[in-house]
Amino acid sequence: MFRTALLRSARQAVRAAPRWSAPIARPAARSSLLQAKQITPSVRFQAVRCYSASAGLSKDEVEGRIMDLLKNFDKVTDTSKLNGEAHFHNDLGLDSLDTVEVVMAIEEEFSIEIPDKEADAIHSIKQAVDYILAQPDAH
Amino acid sequence: MARLSGLQRDVLSLYRRCLRAARAKPVTNRGHFQALARNEFHKHRAVDKKDFSAIEYLLRRGRRQLEMYEEAGVRDVKV
Repeated sequence: MFRTALLRSARQAVRAAPRWSAPIARPAARSSLLQAKQITPSVRFQAVRCYSASAGLSKDEVEGRIMDLLKNFDKVTDTSKLNGEAHFHNDLGLDSLDTVEVVMAIEEEFSIEIPDKEADAIHSIKQAVDYILAQPDAH
Repeated sequence: MARLSGLQRDVLSLYRRCLRAARAKPVTNRGHFQALARNEFHKHRAVDKKDFSAIEYLLRRGRRQLEMYEEAGVRDVKV
């Protein structure tokens, strides 16, 4: 009597187990499907950007941005002399105070900080371009 | 440009500090601070570079002024 009751309850437990497991298994299966759907586009469209990758500033881009900056600088009156080799003082007629302003504007443009010693050594567009290209964190 | 003397470099360094300090001010008033620094420096542009005592006096005055304007409570200036 006791044995049959035990057996019956055991059989019921076995029979009940799959019936209960089915509804539990279904959402799990659905969620894994959803996840697969969410993952696929990010793989296909490269939604993840690697911010650690270098910006890869090209020489032309740096030069162009510095030229634009100088074009908008009110002390530069003769824009015809503006080229990659132009010297701030000899070609553009800027004095040392203006040069400081230009170098500060370049700092802001490329979001870097140039120490005084290096900043004092920048006297031409070419020197500025070379300095920016040598900075890994300029962008 | 010719090699700069120590005093000339001090002047440029002070000018740089002034412009840096202007960046810490509210964006709308940043231009005022920059214009103020520019005016103050250009006012004395004609000082002879051999006139050390005058330059040193102006440097001292400039540093004091910078300290005053640098305070966070100063948010705007009239140029």
